Amino acid sequence: MTNHWIDIKNSDAVLIIGSNAAEHHPVAFKWIMQAKDNGATLMHVDPKFSRTSARCDFHVPLRSGTDIPFLGGMLNYILENELYFKDYVANYTNAAFVVGKDYDFKDGLFSGYDPATRKYDKSKWAMETGPDGGPVIDPTLQNERCVINLMRRHYSRYTLTNVSDVTGISEENLLKVYEIFCATGKPDKAGTILYALGWTQHTVGVQNIRTSALIQLLLGNIGVAGGGINALRGEPNVQGSTDHALLYHILPGYNAMPSAPWQTLAQYRKANTPATTLKNSVNWWSNRPKYVVSLLKGWFGDEATQENDFCYELLPKIEPGEDYSYMYVMDKMYHGKIRGGFIFGVNPMNSFSNTNKMRAALDKLDWLVCSELHNSETTDNWKRPGVDPKTKKTEVFLLPSAHRIEKEGTISNSGRWLQWFDQAVQPAGEARNFADIYVPLFNTIRALYKAEGGAFPEPILKMHWTDKFVADEWVRRINGFFWADSKVGGKTYKRGQLVPTFGALKDDGSTSSLNWIYTGSYTEEEGNKSKRRNSSQTPMQAAIGLYPNWSWCWPVNRRILYNRASVDLNGKPFNPKKAVIAWENGKWAGDVPDGPWPPMADRENGKLPFIMMKDGHGNFYGPGPADGPFPEHYEPAETPLARHPFSSQISSPVYKYHTSDMDQIAAPADPRYPYVLTTYSLTEHWCGGGETRNVPNLLETEPQLYVEMSHQLAGEKGITNGDGVIVESPRGRVEAIAMVTVRIRPFTIMGKTVHLVGMPFAYGWTTPKCGDSTNRLTVGAYDPNTTIPESKACCVNLYKADKLTEIG
Amino acid sequence: MKSTRRSFLKGVSAGIVCLTLGQLGFDLGDAHAYAGKLKIEGAKEVISVCPFCSVCCQIIAYVRDGRLVATEGDPDFPVNEGALCAKGAALFTMYTSRHRLEKPLYRAPFSNHWVEKDWEWTLNEIARRVKDARDQDMILKNAKGQTVNRLESIFAMGTSHASNEECAVIHQAMRGLGVVHMDHQARV
Amino acid sequence: MPKTFLIDTTRCTACRGCQLACKEWHDLPANETKQRGSHQNPPDLNPNNLKIVRFHEYLDTKGDVVWNFFPDQCRHCLIPVCKDVADMAVPGAMIRDPKTGAVLTTEKTAELAPEDARAVIDACPYNIPRLDPKTKRLTKCDMCIDRVSVGMQPICVKTCPTGTMVFGEREEVLPVALKRLEKIKTRFPKAFLADMRDVSVIYLLADDKEHYYEYAAFL
Repeated sequence: MTNHWIDIKNSDAVLIIGSNAAEHHPVAFKWIMQAKDNGATLMHVDPKFSRTSARCDFHVPLRSGTDIPFLGGMLNYILENELYFKDYVANYTNAAFVVGKDYDFKDGLFSGYDPATRKYDKSKWAMETGPDGGPVIDPTLQNERCVINLMRRHYSRYTLTNVSDVTGISEENLLKVYEIFCATGKPDKAGTILYALGWTQHTVGVQNIRTSALIQLLLGNIGVAGGGINALRGEPNVQGSTDHALLYHILPGYNAMPSAPWQTLAQYRKANTPATTLKNSVNWWSNRPKYVVSLLKGWFGDEATQENDFCYELLPKIEPGEDYSYMYVMDKMYHGKIRGGFIFGVNPMNSFSNTNKMRAALDKLDWLVCSELHNSETTDNWKRPGVDPKTKKTEVFLLPSAHRIEKEGTISNSGRWLQWFDQAVQPAGEARNFADIYVPLFNTIRALYKAEGGAFPEPILKMHWTDKFVADEWVRRINGFFWADSKVGGKTYKRGQLVPTFGALKDDGSTSSLNWIYTGSYTEEEGNKSKRRNSSQTPMQAAIGLYPNWSWCWPVNRRILYNRASVDLNGKPFNPKKAVIAWENGKWAGDVPDGPWPPMADRENGKLPFIMMKDGHGNFYGPGPADGPFPEHYEPAETPLARHPFSSQISSPVYKYHTSDMDQIAAPADPRYPYVLTTYSLTEHWCGGGETRNVPNLLETEPQLYVEMSHQLAGEKGITNGDGVIVESPRGRVEAIAMVTVRIRPFTIMGKTVHLVGMPFAYGWTTPKCGDSTNRLTVGAYDPNTTIPESKACCVNLYKADKLTEIG
Repeated sequence: MKSTRRSFLKGVSAGIVCLTLGQLGFDLGDAHAYAGKLKIEGAKEVISVCPFCSVCCQIIAYVRDGRLVATEGDPDFPVNEGALCAKGAALFTMYTSRHRLEKPLYRAPFSNHWVEKDWEWTLNEIARRVKDARDQDMILKNAKGQTVNRLESIFAMGTSHASNEECAVIHQAMRGLGVVHMDHQARV
Repeated sequence: MPKTFLIDTTRCTACRGCQLACKEWHDLPANETKQRGSHQNPPDLNPNNLKIVRFHEYLDTKGDVVWNFFPDQCRHCLIPVCKDVADMAVPGAMIRDPKTGAVLTTEKTAELAPEDARAVIDACPYNIPRLDPKTKRLTKCDMCIDRVSVGMQPICVKTCPTGTMVFGEREEVLPVALKRLEKIKTRFPKAFLADMRDVSVIYLLADDKEHYYEYAAFL
């Protein structure tokens, strides 16, 4: 989240899209309802009328997978009616930047497309550069290749008719949302967009979110109280686990994973440290070498020296362009290329798309280590229904893991607050926390290397590691230490003392930090700030519910990101009643600003607000994503349509997919699979349900798998409420109980009726009689940027069941 | 630690304010089912965080003699102010219901059952498999002759259920082994 | 002065925090349930569920979806008919705590003959008490009398995220209820406070009672 949970109450218009907040983040509704109490309009745009819709001012049903047309129509509405916040757009965004001559867009394809590799040559999308290598900016906006002009032209195709035709939303309803949300383009109004997996789990997931960025930048809604783009992050600590990068492609703190072409630290630094020609751009990532060297110092301690590149060579290097994500691991596993591995606290055999392939792939492993609270569809895959364990070779080590209140440490909430939790009770039986498994395991492996030698033992032997895990010690390691006596702002720190802020991190080996964005969370002066329980705030902070002294949040306790964009060039808040920061008597008041520099009216020392962007401006045009510099509508990989109004390119030209015998994808408008399936979780279960199905009180409330469908579809299929139903896709067959409801209604798409059905994915066979994985139906098609599978839209058929075997 | 709305509970913990129904003016025998002490009386309050969605509601675990007695929302935490959803409200039985794995289990190749094992045996066996795989499969150079020092035949998945500190441990350990196939729930 | 609940259904998201919190606080076991084409589960109040959220959906005259949620529980009537009926058969089977207004079933309800227990249940205008076949006792919401006695909020109220539930002294809660009603009437002209004069648990309903639940209101 750019903002945080409490801040939602400051909004004038709350657009919930790609999220069912009331069901999946129920306590968030405390703050959403407060926004309503304060006069905000709550809008829910989602395929299904849910508990969220029930509390919104209105619900607008949209066909799953058509968020970009919906938002593209809003962009067109803003640009055509000039509803954008002109000063904000002029001063803080790249609207006036000139795009290079190679950029082009024709019939759904951007320039540089290679159909053979399904990839773009992104160099064709580069910005025009001046003699100094910097951007060419035309503040008069006369140049037809100014970003805002290209954007206007691109979205002029997103007419009400086209958008209505493809989304299934009436023009009247489109205008209703557009008018209310775009009214927040005024300086003293704010609109927030709340999204979740309803946006990410698409082959155009990243572009769904980028479209919202375009809208929020146009309306001046980034950096302000009650604004922002707010990912309601799903998992309990998915913010923290992303920050700490349990991901193949990054190192902790959003630093690129070393790649084969970067053989030395110097090469890594050169490739990953941006430079700007704009003197008032902070270009924060110019500090990256300090963070990466401090990370290496944290990992290798005294072994990491200037002379040996701080052990950079010891890190694994990935191959450029190679995908090492979940779905690719599973595909390699299916092809017998993986020996073994660790699956801790996640249940891929239920919650990954195309589960039948996942289950078959897991059978190919020699060995598997799981750590879980309960048996799951993953731990017990070798004895799943219809399988003879005597034919399954995989050795499985199943380690009992400790639950939250059986351990201590920190998590990071969606608003980036770092929250400490104490240990309440001892772990059940012999259960252990994950670190108490990995630490002794690593030490055992280390001892083997010491005793026997082996392949490339250096990184294992040289690691700055520990004999025993103590959470407090690792909070400190994450914050970081001085490794040499140092001076910061006149204060002297000894080797071994905590670094007070990431501004003090160095690239010379004198500091360590396992994650620079958390530096400052644990200091010599104030101790472990995640434990702070102080609700005091200044009247200005209290007006927006900032709570700066409760816990701590990254970065540097800044509660609202890009808050320099909430003030005008003189540092005066656009909305004085809900000021985030304000320049008063030569200093900033309110939230921790994005840097101490004066406002931009100070032409010498003032700085642009978007400090993480190289040139300091919010980007409408982004040459970064794999699928285009402007978001464009493509149908889901599986679609009921044979054509759509925006181009002849039906699905994304660059979405990823696999080609094994178990990776079937139905052709567009395949008559065998006429219905759209969307999948979701529900309030009473947690995602795949592996934990909550084992809590009888929760299972009581939502005991079995269901499929929600309209009365019209049920009527056509001769299905009545409560009937057993079979749902089929090219990949699998699933039993469910029919929930026939007015909350799902047929869509009229390009003049034809399209039915959509919805199913939760919380059920699995290890809980008797409750049903089995819905993801046996979902498609193995992935976003080209993130490789997230398109769990939110695929095509199915369904019919009334003669008998049920999975549900009893 | 400051306490405001909870101040009265401190009294409960100290056993001061706990009234019996007898004191309320009706017959204790009649109301037997409701008599007796508040179940959290005298229990220690421990602050934890709900293990589900990213709202991260804070909870109070009431613990007596090392055993969990009840859980409730933390009324002082500014985000949830004591509130919880169905899942958060069910934390108590989540811990007390007997569905948990409590010992390391091992399933041998082609076996149809689990066998209980101790931790030492289990970790030794896993370490042996990791080392054997690593020794056989470590890729020091790629096809272009560039140093890559990576291990592709082992993967690590999970988890966003881990604390930040556990994540830091997992990431460091995996990169130390040379693992590149690393992923977790942020990508599903 | 009795305690009073306001249950403002216009704020409820049916998160069922109250339903689960009630069950957990009272250490009630789970029922085995089935999916029958509704989110409402268990389908009805029972000895293991003293509070359930009821779901009701329909299309209104404009064709818009309406989904109403009704967190159902004992109203703790100011003059509890159930208690009067029970008293006639077994004095002390039910009591009304004068301090809080909590209407409580006691262990003596097990002494009620089956037809008397039935009469108590039938007497309730809100269809609340349930007979526990194991203990033969009548069961229902006890206002978390253990908590309320020591100044704490009932667990359902404490757990509610959206401010649907308000609990306090009657003279404090009534003005809140009237103010909420006045505000909500601008959007829902039919809104009313169900049986406000007779009960300690006052529901603010935005729609006809039939669109929540047959027994959502008496009058």
